[in-house]
Amino acid sequence: METIAPFIEVIDEIKEAGGEVFKMCFQCGLCDAVCPWNKVRNFSMRKLIREAAFGLTEIEGEDIWRCTTCGTCPDQCPRGVKQIDISVALRRVATEYEVFPASVKSARTARASLISEGNPLQGDRKKRSDWAKGLSVKPFTEDMEALYFVGCYLSYDPRMKKVATATANILNKAGVQFGILGDKESCCGESIRKTGSEEVFKNLAKQNIKTFIDAGVKKIIVSSPHCFHTFKNEYPEFMVNFEVIHMSQYVLELINDGRLELTGDYKEKVTFHDPCYLGRHNNVYDEPRDLLNKVSGLELVEMENFRSNSLCCGGGGGRIWMDTPQKERFSDIRLEQAKEAGAKVLATSCPYCITNFEESRLNLEYEDILEVKDITEIISEML
Amino acid sequence: MGNDVLPKEVVQQFSDTLISNIAENKNFGDVMVVGGGVSGIQASLDLATAGFKVYMVEKGPSIGGHMAQLDKTFPTNDCSM
Amino acid sequence: MEYPDKFNQGISQNKAVHVYFSQAIPLVSYIDDSCLRLKEDKCDICSGVCKTGAIDFRQTPLKTDINVGAIILSSGITPFDPSVKEEYGYTKIDNVVTSMDYERLLSSTGPFEGEVKRISDKTNPKKIAWIQCVGSRRVTKGDNSYCSGVCCTYTQKQVILTKTHYEDAECTIFHNDIRSFGKDFERFFQRAEQLPGVEFIRSYASIEREIPESGNVIVRYATADDGVKREEFDMVVLSVGLNPPEAYKEISQKFGIELNSHGFSKSDSSNPIKTNRPGIFVSGAFQGPTDIPESVFSASGASSQIGELLDYRRGKLAKERVYPVERDVTGEEPKIGVFVCHCGANISSVVNVPSTVEYALTLPNVVYATEQIFSCATNSAREITDLAIEKGFNRVVIAACSPRTLEPLFQDTLREAGLNQYYLDMANIREHCSWVHAKQKDEATKKAHDIVRMSVARASRLEPLQEFDLSVNKTALVVGGGVAGMTCALSIAKQGHEVQLVEKAKDLGGMSRRLHTTLEGLDVQAHLDNLIQMVYQNPRIHVSHESTIKHVDGYIGNFTTTIETEGRTKEIKHGASVLAIGAQEYKPSEYLYGTNESVFTHMELGEEIARENDVVLDAEVLVMIQCVGSRNEERNYCSRVCCGHAVKNAIKLKKLNPEMRIYVLFRDVRTYGFREDSYREAMEMGVQFIRYTPEDPPVVEETKEGGKVVIRVIVSDPILGQRLELDADVLSLAAAVIPASTTPEIARMFKAALSVDEFFKEAHVKLKPVEFATDGVFLCGTAHYPKHIPETINQSYGAAGRALTLLSQDTVTTSGTVARINYKTCVGCQTCLPLCPYGAISYNSKKKVCVVNQILCKGCGNCASACPCHCANLLGYKPEQILTQIGAI
Ligand SMILES: Cc1cc2nc3c(=O)[nH]c(=O)nc-3n(C[C@H](O)[C@H](O)[C@H](O)COP(=O)(O)OP(=O)(O)OC[C@H]3O[C@@H](n4cnc5c(N)ncnc54)[C@H](O)[C@@H]3O)c2cc1C
Ligand code: SF4
Ligand code: SF4
Ligand code: SF4
Ligand code: SF4
Ligand code: SF4
Repeated sequence: METIAPFIEVIDEIKEAGGEVFKMCFQCGLCDAVCPWNKVRNFSMRKLIREAAFGLTEIEGEDIWRCTTCGTCPDQCPRGVKQIDISVALRRVATEYEVFPASVKSARTARASLISEGNPLQGDRKKRSDWAKGLSVKPFTEDMEALYFVGCYLSYDPRMKKVATATANILNKAGVQFGILGDKESCCGESIRKTGSEEVFKNLAKQNIKTFIDAGVKKIIVSSPHCFHTFKNEYPEFMVNFEVIHMSQYVLELINDGRLELTGDYKEKVTFHDPCYLGRHNNVYDEPRDLLNKVSGLELVEMENFRSNSLCCGGGGGRIWMDTPQKERFSDIRLEQAKEAGAKVLATSCPYCITNFEESRLNLEYEDILEVKDITEIISEML
Repeated sequence: MGNDVLPKEVVQQFSDTLISNIAENKNFGDVMVVGGGVSGIQASLDLATAGFKVYMVEKGPSIGGHMAQLDKTFPTNDCSM
Repeated sequence: MEYPDKFNQGISQNKAVHVYFSQAIPLVSYIDDSCLRLKEDKCDICSGVCKTGAIDFRQTPLKTDINVGAIILSSGITPFDPSVKEEYGYTKIDNVVTSMDYERLLSSTGPFEGEVKRISDKTNPKKIAWIQCVGSRRVTKGDNSYCSGVCCTYTQKQVILTKTHYEDAECTIFHNDIRSFGKDFERFFQRAEQLPGVEFIRSYASIEREIPESGNVIVRYATADDGVKREEFDMVVLSVGLNPPEAYKEISQKFGIELNSHGFSKSDSSNPIKTNRPGIFVSGAFQGPTDIPESVFSASGASSQIGELLDYRRGKLAKERVYPVERDVTGEEPKIGVFVCHCGANISSVVNVPSTVEYALTLPNVVYATEQIFSCATNSAREITDLAIEKGFNRVVIAACSPRTLEPLFQDTLREAGLNQYYLDMANIREHCSWVHAKQKDEATKKAHDIVRMSVARASRLEPLQEFDLSVNKTALVVGGGVAGMTCALSIAKQGHEVQLVEKAKDLGGMSRRLHTTLEGLDVQAHLDNLIQMVYQNPRIHVSHESTIKHVDGYIGNFTTTIETEGRTKEIKHGASVLAIGAQEYKPSEYLYGTNESVFTHMELGEEIARENDVVLDAEVLVMIQCVGSRNEERNYCSRVCCGHAVKNAIKLKKLNPEMRIYVLFRDVRTYGFREDSYREAMEMGVQFIRYTPEDPPVVEETKEGGKVVIRVIVSDPILGQRLELDADVLSLAAAVIPASTTPEIARMFKAALSVDEFFKEAHVKLKPVEFATDGVFLCGTAHYPKHIPETINQSYGAAGRALTLLSQDTVTTSGTVARINYKTCVGCQTCLPLCPYGAISYNSKKKVCVVNQILCKGCGNCASACPCHCANLLGYKPEQILTQIGAI
């Protein structure tokens, strides 16, 4: 055992970076016990916090980058330690010193792309609304019912563009007066913030806020729970409040209001994966299920982990941009769980989840076993 | 519960105070004890022994409180009944 | 139709009409709210069936007005309901039970008659996990932030009982501090921990899921070295904490009393029994989560405070118990009535009760025999009385449990029938038979016959014994003028009794003189000054300073104590004695104490803070080491106050100097009850807590760092897996609380017992927590065991309350079971003299014989068994009585 003195300067830096809650931890170990990482490899949030408390953090190590901000441990911590804040604080310190382990390098690329193009996918800003070509999707104007904030993945990612299309289809069918911001839309900034790049986040947020205000936006429909979370819970830090509604909630509302009608049968066993930022972070558990239950013929089954106990896909906290060895992917476990539950379709409502699940589906060779769908894709088929 | 603690006096108390009150239809007492758990019983016993008339009010069907549900009690592990 | 039985936590079923539980008082059937008639006005079968016509559905709740002078609220606690949180898995997973459910499973009157079975498949679980702090010590929604204080120890109890039931059971306890702060708790913990197959793991655990095929439960927990582990258990017990009952809100509104933020009574720590409304008092767990002993003494405390209030009307409404005149049966042939008790199923599940009754009827002198479900229940006792009168028996044998607890009850039953109460014999067919031979039913029944036969034989030789009444001197002697002694003295004096308060030192105040605040925020010095003033102003309290107790004579109701006070000798006559001589602080030999002047004890640190010593207040780094001199081989107990003390000092220091870095090196943080909030507050302020183990204690050395002398403390942190080096300016030690130096001497003079740790030993931890086995002698304060000031105050009122039950009587009755020495045959060998543990025997040098003081004698029989010429006899257990009994084997 090494003998070492507490590193006061480092402690102060971490505190300054917003990680002071480490002081409340009484090392009960519950965060470790519930963390999804420990299903695939050893990872101790408790130790990370303990090291932070004495300024002994290994700032260049992998561990500070591991937390997917899934929200499981903060929900249960008996001392109210906000583990995510601590992770983010540590990442801020690392970002300040510009020390990154190899697996994090690709997140740096995403960051650069966010700064230059407003999206993490190295997509050309001007092409942001290309997905909508040929669909009747209009630019947003003040007199419209709502803004549809598409998000980066749905704008650029080939798989996710299908979800954007489905969404536009539903909104049009329901006669919703909506529009998009096109190349004036920037990334919401949620994930980059979690990697410790506070400045990048702030710039993105300010750009969006300015655009929203200039365009006279009041109500925002989002497809990504990450956009949902950050508009709802983080943009208010800038003294603005927009009405935000997630597609899974909005579609249910449309049906309940009689604006949208579902037809036909969907004769499949479907399971719903609660995205962390929709479920644990924002307590939206019922609407997606209620919505799926509206689909006639659809049989909804639950996986081993569901609702507040849902298993993270592994994509939060900027992990979507980092490299995770194949045997350490939570999404693989999730697919197995869906299969165990007897589902033919794994439905969810988050671009990161779908991206990760599709990748696992390939790797596990589950193409014939399981389909991965956004909830809007199912609904769109039923119109 | 506490046949250990009470039987003699509690029985006495119950029959004496309650029955005599019902008979005489009088509701004057010195003290009312709300809750017939171990603490309420002890208080009633002490008060009764020290010369006061006690009413014990218990919402359940029996006195004894949670101690009566316990198997044995620490740190002596003797019977709680 | 059957419904979940509330008393058995809904594990077993019962009918809507039932007896709540078999020893319920009153033992009558009641109809619960699952009744169809009451719910849906549907069925009316029962009222037709009842022979006595006792069922009347027209009964409506009766509203009764009661006029009283004072009220005690003692409405207790409700166990935390874990179904409010999904994570705990309760109600969703069959084999996840609460500790309250588990109590019922362990109990012989429980759902499976004392067998622990799994709800899912009714098999005995082999691997059982307990998860601690369920609902407690958590700031998460739905949980309580305070520590419930009892669950650590009750879990250990459950583990010990489980291991006694099932030798090969494997028990794992997941916790994050073992809070064995009470008297004898530390040893109790060790007892549990040292059992084979028992493991305590320091990690809260999470329930992953149920395995549908086996019903087993998968639990995940963290280890420092091997990461997270996943383990399968047959059953998981949630150690649920104590919640304030919902009813408190209503009670507080109705009675107009305030509640604290946790929903318990808002107490003033200078008197936790008092509420904001005069005349309304709280006792037991309404004050906050407490264990049984504390609930008992706060109850006695509440009754004492009511005594202060209502002394003027004492005895006016209560009625004396009148017994029928005792019948002289000495000339009659023995006529014995035998009652064989089922003890619910405790006896009858093993011993064949009807056959035992039949057998009893064949025995000589037995004129009547019958069985009873619970002989101790009110109606059964009445049956015994009635039958005794009706059938005219002159002796009664009760074949049931140990006489230890119930003999007084049955003696009373005999008196009610006009019989001398010593015509009773109890045949113990429970502890001595059914409990120990559960697996050999036939043999057990035979043994029960044997026991009954012996008992009947003895009963036929019993003689009436006389109890005698002693007058009671109304004065109390209180030894020790600390918070405990003064509080107790005042309460007694306010109830009209003279009190002699004897203090060793020059001034009143004791240990509290050195304390300035409590965690609850009490200004100790102000409270103390106030107490002292009240003591001096009370005309009934007579204080002797600088006094030494020289000699104690006499017995309950009539003591004579000789003291030497300020050079004079004084004799005090008193009826009751209260010993409140406090405790003292251990002088550490560890960690540079006494050699480095920046090393203090916590007590001294508190004083230095109050004195605003710059060395302390300007320290950059201050380290506290806990458990110094406690919880080791020499003193195998927890000093209870020092964890709270450390937290209190740390908070104070942080308030005065927020920059100070404070490290508390601990083994377990024992901030039980609401003190947990202060523990969190200290952490919030940045105080850092580092756990160490006794195998790897901190190392402290003096060293120079940058030209400055510092105290270097090196301690391993289990989570970091590294040793931390802390250079402290000030080191403070949680020195143990040890018994006052005069304890052994005082104990000897008052014939008071000492416990293993050499604090005073109470007569019974739960039933008589403030009195000694020696009648008329009471105890309170830290002389009993270390405790915080509010706890001391509670207990001191408790001692006063108990003393009043004696002092308010004109006479006390002593037992008839005493020894007698036949002066005609006694040769004066004095063999018996040193053997008497109660000092009841004295030697009459004139007559050259030993004499037994019948009041001091407790009937232990030592003298009788030792006397070489058989002239010492224990009444009721004379040789011929015992020999007949033995002869009957
Ligand atoms: C190290 C330490 C830290 C503590 N910290 C706290 C704390 O932070 N918060 C808290 O609430 N409580 C604390 N306590 C407990 C607190 O001191 C007690 O609860 C309270 O003082 C007990 O009162 P007492 O009267 O029983 O004992 P004491 O105050 O000790 O009084 C006993 C009195 O009896 C006298 N006496 C002793 N022997 C004889 C004799 N033979 N004849 C006549 N008189 C005699 C003594 O001189 C003394 O005056 C602490 C105690 C210690 C030792
Ligand atoms: S759950 Fe909270 S208190 Fe427990 S170890 Fe993790 S951070 Fe610390
Ligand atoms: S937030 Fe999720 S991923 Fe992060 S440490 Fe907690 S449980 Fe693990
Ligand atoms: S630490 Fe406190 S709340 Fe937790 S189990 Fe022990 S006594 Fe109960
Ligand atoms: S410091 Fe004191 S109260 Fe805390 S555990 Fe040690 S002996 Fe017990
Ligand atoms: S019976 Fe016991 S208590 Fe009584 S005098 Fe003999 S030795 Fe003492």
